[in-house]
Amino acid sequence: MVEVSRHDIIIVGGGAAGLRAAIAAAEADPSASIALVSKVYPMRSHTVSAEGGAAGVAREDDNLEMHGQDTVKGSDFLGDQDVIQYFVEQAPKELALLENWGCPWSRNEDGSVATRAFGGMTVKRTWYAADKVGFHMLHTLFQHSMRFENIVRYDEYFVSKLLVEDGSCRGVAALDIRTGEMSAILGRAVILATGGAGKCFPFTTNGMIKTGDGMALAYRAGVPLKDMEFVQYHPTGLPGTGILITEATRGEGGHLKNSQGERFLVEYDYGVGQKAELGPRDMISRAIIREIEAGRGVSGSYGEHAHLDLTHLGEEKIMARLPMVRELCKIYVGVDPVSEPIPVRPVVHYMMGGVDTDIDAATTLPGLYAAGEVACVSLNGANRLGSNSLTECLVFGTKAGEKALEYARGAPAGSDDALRAQAEEESARIDALRGRKKGGEKIAAIRHEMNAAMEEGCGVFRHQDTMGAAVNTLVQLKGRVSDLRLEDDSKVFNTEVIAALELHNMLDVAESVAVSAHHRKESRGAHTCRDFEHRDDQNYLYHTLCYHDPSGPRLDKKEVTLGTWEPVERKY
Amino acid sequence: MGEPTKTFVITRFDPDKDEVPKTQEYEIPVEADWKVLDAINFIKDEVDPSISHRWSCRMAVCGSCGMMVDGEPKLTCKTALSDYGDRVTVEPLANFPIVRDLVTELEGFMEKFQRVKPWVIRAKEDAGAADSKPPMNDKGTFVQSPAELAEFKQFSMCINCMLCYAACPVVANEAEFLGPAAIALGHRYNLDSRDQGQDERNEIFRDEGTVFSCSFANECSEVCPKNVDPAAAVNQAKFGAVIDWATSLVLPRASAGRRGEQGGK
Amino acid sequence: MAGPAHPDAMAPSKPGKTRTAPPQMPASWWSHPRIRTYLAFDATGIVYLLLGLVALRVVWALGAGPEVWDATIASLSNPLYILFHVIGLVSVLFVGVRFFGFFPKAQPPRIGPAKPPPQPVILAGLYAAWLGVTLLFAAILGGWIF
Repeated sequence: MVEVSRHDIIIVGGGAAGLRAAIAAAEADPSASIALVSKVYPMRSHTVSAEGGAAGVAREDDNLEMHGQDTVKGSDFLGDQDVIQYFVEQAPKELALLENWGCPWSRNEDGSVATRAFGGMTVKRTWYAADKVGFHMLHTLFQHSMRFENIVRYDEYFVSKLLVEDGSCRGVAALDIRTGEMSAILGRAVILATGGAGKCFPFTTNGMIKTGDGMALAYRAGVPLKDMEFVQYHPTGLPGTGILITEATRGEGGHLKNSQGERFLVEYDYGVGQKAELGPRDMISRAIIREIEAGRGVSGSYGEHAHLDLTHLGEEKIMARLPMVRELCKIYVGVDPVSEPIPVRPVVHYMMGGVDTDIDAATTLPGLYAAGEVACVSLNGANRLGSNSLTECLVFGTKAGEKALEYARGAPAGSDDALRAQAEEESARIDALRGRKKGGEKIAAIRHEMNAAMEEGCGVFRHQDTMGAAVNTLVQLKGRVSDLRLEDDSKVFNTEVIAALELHNMLDVAESVAVSAHHRKESRGAHTCRDFEHRDDQNYLYHTLCYHDPSGPRLDKKEVTLGTWEPVERKY
Repeated sequence: MGEPTKTFVITRFDPDKDEVPKTQEYEIPVEADWKVLDAINFIKDEVDPSISHRWSCRMAVCGSCGMMVDGEPKLTCKTALSDYGDRVTVEPLANFPIVRDLVTELEGFMEKFQRVKPWVIRAKEDAGAADSKPPMNDKGTFVQSPAELAEFKQFSMCINCMLCYAACPVVANEAEFLGPAAIALGHRYNLDSRDQGQDERNEIFRDEGTVFSCSFANECSEVCPKNVDPAAAVNQAKFGAVIDWATSLVLPRASAGRRGEQGGK
Repeated sequence: MAGPAHPDAMAPSKPGKTRTAPPQMPASWWSHPRIRTYLAFDATGIVYLLLGLVALRVVWALGAGPEVWDATIASLSNPLYILFHVIGLVSVLFVGVRFFGFFPKAQPPRIGPAKPPPQPVILAGLYAAWLGVTLLFAAILGGWIF
């Protein structure tokens, strides 16, 4: 039996963007009821794993223009410049608010918030709380959200479908993981804040929960995914696990070295110039792979990698600024960065692409909003600068909360019965999937094959033929996934059926990535195609839109908003 | 000789099928650098997909994967399998109701967590005042020195993994006890120079089942994977609550000990 | 695990949405060295209770006349009593050392503007106070003062 509940706004996802949206809406209208639906308890959200910091102009030697310009250049001119301008204006205000709510930002001696250097940023503008910034931001937001009685949490509910009526989004069908029962959570507007989809790839900094759920929900509801080909490889992940070693290691003065002990970003020309280790992520990831290809990689039990050397920073600085990095290295690779270099290699970290939204966080489906990594508001373009994304969650989380509330005030509620009927249909679909013993395909097997195809086809360097092969593999896997075999027929906390739903989501998202990448015949930002080594503004200065279609993804174009900074060659 | 294997003895419980929890054994090949969580994930993926457990970040910061490993509460993603013998027992966290297999009921914790008012409370008369305490600078942030930050920083490192609850002998015997993590969090805000809600929280701390239930077994601090030292927080909170009470006798409060208010709404 | 914990341990105020199995105590409850230390710490309470009863008996003897007093004092030299007092002394030392070990971290980082002294200073103070009180009592009981 499907249970129906009603709210004004429904937020899907309890990470930084979702919590910030909830707080913004709850503050703006204490009488509005806000549902916060998340497949994990909010403090488990993957924001928790962000390490290095959040960008916002704070110092006297910095200004909004410079932050904007750095971001545009970092995006390889694919960022929308109106969005970037709005973002840099709001960033300091949002970060200060978080300070007011208790975030333990690291401090200068005068009691102001300290900032550190970060890749692709000309000035120290990254606010930090040692190297656990995401953790502290998430917990601050979650704890602050608890004071609002009008935020109603649905913890451990998995949203499997958007409920759309008369062309407007009016709720979600959510599976209560605890009971296995379907709920229809209805409202006048829905905000997606479910994060990225790193788990499409085998080697990623992302946690298990990052399966592109929100992207797939919107995609299947007819909303285009934008710029999906741009997948950020973070230069420094631990081999084997893919655990993130923050860019703050380089911001604090760490060096990248090859097997000869050379600082290869200084010794060879990789386009980062004087910035060296503080170059943008796409360029440094490419440099590491090129070093390995040139035979200057360091061999380890998980293949070739580079070295990240912090030994010259000294124990005191490492303990003050990078304590978690030290802890992670000791636990996961048995290396103490105080005395030894850290083995690192590029690792899938972030999706620049996502659900297409405008500057107001609104999607093309009335009543549906998106913010954070799930969305592509076009702040990051073809390559995101480190420490812009935590701030993005705040700036556009707030925007989504406010705009969704505004929209909800004028929108009709829709019919309970019609929406419940949709949820019941969804309930039946999941009942049929749960414990489906007649199938022949294993979840883990399809996941591994998808992972392998994505790594092969959509890595740091891409080729037309391997991208094409990835597309074909994904099409084939999408066929096979309809014949899954599930062993667990219990209703209570059945994580197998959730894994099956997540696998469906990942396949949809992975396909849109591969198809969009295969289409873009140039190299821009994180999309580096070896068959087309240069950026081609003549033919490809546009956003890729990818629409869901039963016969396969359909691509379209969207104009990039320029106007302030004209595209020039990207060189540091 | 084949590859090395270990046997995992895992708690199984499905409320629709089992009256009480039982155990199931799995012998699997293991890799030298695996954590305990890697083994459970291998079993879930390759041997028995019907096992339920929580996990996510696998880098010891999301707090999802706390379980009892050979009887001790552990964050399984940071617990090296090589530290254990050929038979490893994995159970759901002690002192929590068991929902299914390795999954425990967290709602009780969430209630205790909320009770300590884990947010910055500002006095009404100070809201937006130019001469607020602590002062605000032109960037809109409170002035807080590194020394003031250091006073509470350690207690803000809790990842809510709940290992301390599984280890605490008072939690095992006194259902009302707020417990280590929740008290540490309340104490963290009490120590924050930006917070003005100490009176409210100290009043809560003087209630039954809070700080004075702690018998200082120190087990919470022994098992904490993040070195938060919740036992220190709880026992500091005892001091704070007593001193607050004593000073309230000497210096009666303006509004009956309710200086802070629910700002922000 | 070792056995059931309190049936309502960590239970929500409203019954959960699905039936749960009751919480269990960790197996380390009896077997772990740390737990044994903690149990021994708490168990010294029994020793203090008995020591208190002995002291009461002595006080009662004081009011019951010189003969009773002398007999009571003489009985205290029984080897069993001496053994008991040795146990008492060990208990006090154990509790003192363990408690003093925890004491510094139980100090709030500040009370109002006042900050506690550094840990070694706190510890030195505690032990000095302990020694001082012990000497004072020894002096009184030994008849050197009063």
